[in-house]
Amino acid sequence: MSGGFVNTLAVARLEWRRLVVRPLAWVLAALTLAWLAWNFTLLLGDFLAGQIQRAALPGGPGFTDLVAVPLLGQLAQLAFLVVPLLTMPAIAGDRRNGTLPLLFAAGVPASHIVLGRYLAVLGWLLWWLVLTLAMPLALAHATSLDWGKLAAAALGLALMLAALAAVGVASSTFASHPAIAAAAALIVTLALWGVNLGAQMAGINGGAINWLAMSTHLQPLLRGLVSTTDLLWFVLLVALALALATHRLGSDRERG
Amino acid sequence: MTPSIPVPPATVLRLDQLSRRRAGRPAVRNLSLALQSGQVLGLLGVNGAGKSTTLSMIAGALRPDSGSIQLNGEDFLERPELARRLIGWLPERAPLWAELTVSEHLDAHGRLRGLNGAALRQARSAIIERLELQPLARRLAGVLSQGQRQRLGLACALLHRPALLVLDEPANALDPVQAAALRSLIREQSAAGTAVILSTHLLTEVTAVCDRVAILHEGTLRHDAPIRSDDQAALERSFFEIAMHGATDPARAA
Repeated sequence: MSGGFVNTLAVARLEWRRLVVRPLAWVLAALTLAWLAWNFTLLLGDFLAGQIQRAALPGGPGFTDLVAVPLLGQLAQLAFLVVPLLTMPAIAGDRRNGTLPLLFAAGVPASHIVLGRYLAVLGWLLWWLVLTLAMPLALAHATSLDWGKLAAAALGLALMLAALAAVGVASSTFASHPAIAAAAALIVTLALWGVNLGAQMAGINGGAINWLAMSTHLQPLLRGLVSTTDLLWFVLLVALALALATHRLGSDRERG
Repeated sequence: MTPSIPVPPATVLRLDQLSRRRAGRPAVRNLSLALQSGQVLGLLGVNGAGKSTTLSMIAGALRPDSGSIQLNGEDFLERPELARRLIGWLPERAPLWAELTVSEHLDAHGRLRGLNGAALRQARSAIIERLELQPLARRLAGVLSQGQRQRLGLACALLHRPALLVLDEPANALDPVQAAALRSLIREQSAAGTAVILSTHLLTEVTAVCDRVAILHEGTLRHDAPIRSDDQAALERSFFEIAMHGATDPARAA
């Protein structure tokens, strides 16, 4: 195994361990999953109530459109709050505790510290997504799922969580206090989501401002449309956020 | 019988014209020194003399503005990954991850230093036994006393058997028994060939364990000479003269 991979893995394991022993991660998981489970039962109740009317419409929306995808949409809304809370101590906490120099002194480059921290948070978020997906999947034997659409929506959610986590880790790298990191991450991600709201209200549906907005790239995926442009947008955002975080952390070591 | 030829001690650390500014003022200026394997260097100086900045640069936690650091003959600034195997560092006040247990700390430090599997378990058991951390192994770092934190920090620094041990005021918060145990540990490390840099405010600590003493004042090296354990009065004179008047000690030239 290469030294870089070992470094990243060691940092990721350390961060994962810190994440799972913190009550915050468990409280967030419990509260959000309980909320999502409650909403799942409501969506399922509505779906069952309208089943007879929909039977008369061939090709109408099914379980995936009316239960699974809206549930993932709710997860996306919760993610705007949950991800900043999870990522806030990633680097800002270390800076505050004085433990950041321990990582530098172990010869771990800034890029590996950032990547390790990011992978640990991403691991937790993907586990969160899988538990949410388990709810509609539990009924797969009793209903007809549109597997392609569900896979596209799950991919969209995974990419969105990856992007929010990257922005959260970057905010944590720039902030001196975890609470400031959480607030900054929330503001940046909300701005990224709604940067095109004004243009939308003015009836403009194209152009650079719409391309910048996260919603422009997530909505098609939730509808089951996978395009390279949308995937690239998320990949670029993750790469940009992690590159900024690495640059900031590297200058921390320079500045002391 | 072939007569045994004494092997000259290798130079583990060489600093050349090391400088660093902090908070807009020079914290360390043109610092040059070398340290051989098995040697114990005491670093003295009043608060703000530049001791912690110097140690942070040697440990790889802070980059110097200029100058060079060589570790076992290799350029440390070009290859910061050398710190992983070669350096063990105990910073001032032993920063720890409060939510991890003592045992988890040692595992995390071991992995960061490239230890895994059986090698990590063996190293962890050995250091827990050597520093008598067994009763604390499952305790969270956040609830340890300051003395216990220092011992855990020391364990993390020694876990991977470094060639250079950098200790920033390690006797802080240790009781007299623990301080004596620390002195014994430093001597043991030195006998095993580890080079040690010990920053402290305690002159008695220096005369008890160090072979050499360096005194920093306003970021510059004012004294660097071997010490004799029976010469504490001379060391005190040099220290106070430098601390009060900033005089350069003639012993430096020796």
